[in-house]
Amino acid sequence: MAARRWWAIGLAVWLAGCGPHEPVVKIGFVTPLTGDQASHGTDMLHGAELAIAQALDEGPVLPGYRLELVPLDDQHNPAQAVAMAKKLVADPAVLAVVGHLNSSCTKPASAIYHKARLLHVNPVSSNPDISRQGFDTLFRICATDDLQGPAGARFAWQTLGARRVFIIDDVTTYGRGLANEFEMAAKGLGFLVLGHEGITQGEKDFTPLLTKVKALGPDLIYFAGIFPEAATLIKQRHDLQISATFLAGDGVYEPTLITLASPEAAEGIYVTALGADIRTVPTAKAFVAAFEQKYGRLGAYSSYAYEATRLAVRAIRTAGRADRAAVLAAMRATSEYAGILGTHHFDTKGDTTLRTIGIFTVQHGQFHFVEVVDSV
Amino acid sequence: MSWQQVLLQQLVNGLTIGAVYALIALGYTMVYGILQLINFAHGEVFMLGAYVGVAALALLGPSVSGLPAGLAMAAAAMAGCAALGWGIERLAYRPLRRSPKLTALITAIGVSFLLQNAVMLGFGARDRRVPNPLPAVRWAIGGVAVTGMQVVIIVTAALMLVLLHRFIRRTRLGQAMLATAQDPVAARLLGIPVDTVIAWTFVIGSALAGLGGVLFGLYYSTINFHDGYLTGLKAFTAAVLGGIGNLPGAALGGVLLGLLEGLSAGYLSSQWKNAVAFLVLVLLLMFRPRGLMGEQVADRA
Repeated sequence: MAARRWWAIGLAVWLAGCGPHEPVVKIGFVTPLTGDQASHGTDMLHGAELAIAQALDEGPVLPGYRLELVPLDDQHNPAQAVAMAKKLVADPAVLAVVGHLNSSCTKPASAIYHKARLLHVNPVSSNPDISRQGFDTLFRICATDDLQGPAGARFAWQTLGARRVFIIDDVTTYGRGLANEFEMAAKGLGFLVLGHEGITQGEKDFTPLLTKVKALGPDLIYFAGIFPEAATLIKQRHDLQISATFLAGDGVYEPTLITLASPEAAEGIYVTALGADIRTVPTAKAFVAAFEQKYGRLGAYSSYAYEATRLAVRAIRTAGRADRAAVLAAMRATSEYAGILGTHHFDTKGDTTLRTIGIFTVQHGQFHFVEVVDSV
Repeated sequence: MSWQQVLLQQLVNGLTIGAVYALIALGYTMVYGILQLINFAHGEVFMLGAYVGVAALALLGPSVSGLPAGLAMAAAAMAGCAALGWGIERLAYRPLRRSPKLTALITAIGVSFLLQNAVMLGFGARDRRVPNPLPAVRWAIGGVAVTGMQVVIIVTAALMLVLLHRFIRRTRLGQAMLATAQDPVAARLLGIPVDTVIAWTFVIGSALAGLGGVLFGLYYSTINFHDGYLTGLKAFTAAVLGGIGNLPGAALGGVLLGLLEGLSAGYLSSQWKNAVAFLVLVLLLMFRPRGLMGEQVADRA
């Protein structure tokens, strides 16, 4: 018996040495790895890498094949996202894709994966329209903005006691979509919506808009967008001495925000996030410990990328064949998945039923968990 | 806030960014006045000014703070950008002095891309925080919020404009610049070292852009490698608005453009602010092709 085991190890070493000859299966991974949102994208990549490393520790994913993660950069640019999607689709060794951070990238790319019958697990693109396209290849593991927007509105109405709101968004698929969901819910609750205006990503001077906002005298400013613009808005709101509370969507939940805006200006802002504080989730304890040991700081979306990658690995393992159709069928047959975020069930659109919205606030230069707002 | 307070606040907002545009526009207009070259790399020199300022502050360490640290940032940025401007002229434009104007223009665009990508590779693509060593002062004057940084920007820009104006009128080098701008061939015949004068033009213009970069970085508290592109384009617009080649015109154009942006973003919509600014430019060029303060001079053949 011992001799046979040595044989097996010898064979494995020999196979590893001849890497190029061994057949490979790949999981594609696409997020912005350069550009203004690279910090989100890199934090997600670390989550995916950890998922692959842990899966391999548990044994070979597909016997006879080497599993590889193919990280690609969509630069937070829909055209680049489509190009990367086409690249992945063209490689027959790619059996699943985990990807895209921004809804504006996920939406066009998902059509390409669907056409190629390639399993697409999306970690954090929260625009509800993505799963309304009717693609049976798409699975999404986060709450969507038709929950996040209303949850933010309810929190502002009930807990903050806000009644007059001015809404700002960054006119992207994500930002405009979330802002519209918030506006609809806010009007339903009885909010007086003083205005709803878009800003351009990459701009630096929002003082004219904020002056207009100040003159209207809201008690709440709601922003749907990503943290670089949010940081500028928060700083200039402070400079203009606007007392209204600042509430933003999950794209702003990123510690860099506080450095960019200055802790003084960021004090007391609120953000909604796609889930509770990962540190308070019991099933995620081991993940958090392993991640922080390997990469240091945990990103806002690292756990989602990890979960999505584990799902993709699981589908490949269940399929037992290097075949896209088999992998997709294995994923579609998944009725329940107990992950680190909780237990997922997938509805007919491919969205998870595990949907909670967490509220965080900035105190003394750090994000602190406030509460979970019940969905629905 | 009453409507007067809102209007006043919008004017303060617009004046601040307008002052930054003015500082950059001076460099565009000086170079154009002498070489008839639109130096598209000028926006990148401006952006690098902020990075040099950040680097200088990091080198100084935490022992220096307050006004001395702020002055050191400005001095480092001005010196660094002056050297960069001199280098760009020496390496990229001087060898092309006898080539068609289009060649130099395309080279300018190339230098702009080169600097942008070099900064992206060297400093990363993310927004960098620009730490502000100056004390954060805020006032509320009759309901209008003014920050210390806004006052610093407006006063510095005004001071620089006055100094530059005096320099051109009072010094031999300034007079040589005027002469070269009027007619480089005649200037050379009269014994003016035209190449040296051109080099100094780049040095002075770039130093002002570097100063503008530091002020911009401190005001918005972040800097990014692509910040030079749009701001540079706006400053160029300001130079054209005021009449390219004309120094007070560039300053006037900068302030006007800043105010125009502030008012259109404040009273129309912030998404329309660039459209309004450039629409005004188009209209002005249709009816006053030489800009607001541009002189009616015959084209040199």
